[in-house]
Amino acid sequence: MLLTTSVGSFPKPDYLIKARSRFRKKEIGQQELRRLEEQSTREWIARQEDLGIDILVDGEQYRGDMATYFAENLEGFAISSLVRSYGNRYYRKPVVIGPIRRKRPITIEWFKFAQGLTKKPVKGMLTGPYTIMDWSFNEHYPNRRAVALAIARVIHDEAKDLERAGATYIQIDEPALSTRTEEIDLAIEAMKICTQGLRAKTITHICYGDFAAIYPKMLKLAVDQIDLEFANRKFELLATFKKPRFTKEVGLGVVDVHSHRTESKEEVIGNIEQALKVFKPEQIYVDPDCGLKTRTVDEAVDKLRVIVEAAREVRSRLGTKHSVHSTSLSTDPERAKRVEGSALSTKARRLVNSR
Amino acid sequence: MKTTVIGNYPKVAEDSYGTKVIGALNRWQKGEVNNEDLEQVFSETTASVIAEQEAAGIDIITDGQIRWEDLVTPLAKRVDGFSINGLTRFYNNNVYYRQPILERAPRWKGPALVDDFRKAKALVKRAALKAVIPGPWTFTQLIEDRHFKQPVKCMQALAEILHQEAKALAEAGAAFVQIDEPSVGATPPPAASWLKAMSTITKGLPAKTSARFYFYSPDGLFAKLQDAAVDAIGLDIVSDPKLLGRILKVRWHKALGLGCVDARNTKLETIADLRKLFDRVTKVVPADQLFVSPNCGLEFLPHDKAIAKLRLMVDAVRQWQRG
Repeated sequence: MLLTTSVGSFPKPDYLIKARSRFRKKEIGQQELRRLEEQSTREWIARQEDLGIDILVDGEQYRGDMATYFAENLEGFAISSLVRSYGNRYYRKPVVIGPIRRKRPITIEWFKFAQGLTKKPVKGMLTGPYTIMDWSFNEHYPNRRAVALAIARVIHDEAKDLERAGATYIQIDEPALSTRTEEIDLAIEAMKICTQGLRAKTITHICYGDFAAIYPKMLKLAVDQIDLEFANRKFELLATFKKPRFTKEVGLGVVDVHSHRTESKEEVIGNIEQALKVFKPEQIYVDPDCGLKTRTVDEAVDKLRVIVEAAREVRSRLGTKHSVHSTSLSTDPERAKRVEGSALSTKARRLVNSR
Repeated sequence: MKTTVIGNYPKVAEDSYGTKVIGALNRWQKGEVNNEDLEQVFSETTASVIAEQEAAGIDIITDGQIRWEDLVTPLAKRVDGFSINGLTRFYNNNVYYRQPILERAPRWKGPALVDDFRKAKALVKRAALKAVIPGPWTFTQLIEDRHFKQPVKCMQALAEILHQEAKALAEAGAAFVQIDEPSVGATPPPAASWLKAMSTITKGLPAKTSARFYFYSPDGLFAKLQDAAVDAIGLDIVSDPKLLGRILKVRWHKALGLGCVDARNTKLETIADLRKLFDRVTKVVPADQLFVSPNCGLEFLPHDKAIAKLRLMVDAVRQWQRG
């Protein structure tokens, strides 16, 4: 219970930011960039191990934008020239220009690399079909639904490959889901395709939005766990989830990723205790609100440290009433029925058993 | 039939006027360049954007809102009573803005948008230049109101301010003042209060006025739209394709702005489809009362696609006019 984890991204160290910029200017090659991405990934795995985090992430040191990264690696996408996101921030937006297909696995090599560095489980990290669709232009498919479902099929293939490679936790992020609450049915339909037949524990992260409008319907998302930002709105979300009961596991964001200030241990303990009034201890995974990539390395480490310390203290306060063991196999009953009986790889089993 | 745009235009154009706005703003934020240097870049970019719209053949253009952070901040930062808060999503777009907070009773301190309008007007050669302001309900909804804590009261107070601004713009030579009201579709206001606020803004204004509804259909108020004290009603038939059916069933006594080119997706419309659309709409609105435009501001598009869409739109109108 109260296992600690992260949402996905970690800040890139200065040497990697410089290397990415030099790579864009063609001053260094792919090999050199890759070497530095690996170095930085090693550092993040080591940091998470040192901090005592339970479920690790690779930190996405090799990714830029979370939707564009997948679009760049899929057939059927082009990348636009610059569009504005906010203030003085611009990005290149994916454009669907043909049938979406997966030429080859996208994240598997990096997953294997990161998992090879630790005995603790590393989450397989994917971006969800609704979000990739919402964050892309569409010049090919007749409507938004057709785009989302086409992406869902390739994300499903990628998730299956992650599972075969040993992933026991697979997270499929849908930050855009709270944008157009009227499309929640489409997001549910697409997620069902993504997680069909998976035995790994599945998670989705959704960013802050109008949850009152999609609750309790959002519990129909075919995942075991929904990870949410609680800290940046002072846990007011909890009120929404009191009734009806939140039937899935919850990823509990307990520190604000948009603030430079590191929360105190007492503050985070207070946050977890508030949540325990609404969720059962075994329902809760403790993590930051969102990816930490916008913080400095030191800020990110400090925030993670507080999370680990606070979770440990609450665990020990709860004492012997609860077991600390949990399984990473799917607990979503609806989905468990649909599992196609695909056995977990030896490595995945070993990881599950070792915990 | 005339062509127009809604308001904002890409601030950067890798294929023509470049990305100098990004660098200039970065350096200005760090204090490395002063206000005049930043203004120089804004002016140059505005000149390019105006020239480009004119070259594309748009009849009624805007200055592209190159200096604007978003629809409400340019006013909020020059009207007394506001502070600026954290990032919030701009409607159902993957675009964010810093939300102004109304801390005390708002007070108009003098023209906020007139300087920019005058500068732009000096750059225009042929087209008409329209001024754009946020609508009273949109202004109310896009801010956090900590003062009135009553949306209708807040709307009316902001309408008084918008009236003064619109008057100053008209006196500076704006022959058209457009009032943007996406929030009317997103979160419908009480109809009577909204109509009153609109009348407050346009009362005695020596300019043609229009209200623009985009991103969402103003479904709840659809029957009342023509009661608003404006000369033209502009609708977005792209975001909600069902809206066209309703437009075709109405007896239009006001001019109609037809937002029919998708400014939120790069896929190019076809001239044939647009011509068919004009055939249908001119059955309920005389051609000389029809203003053809993109459905919303063009800043959601990369520049190459934005300009391609404007050219195609003008082509479609000209071909339709030739019959």
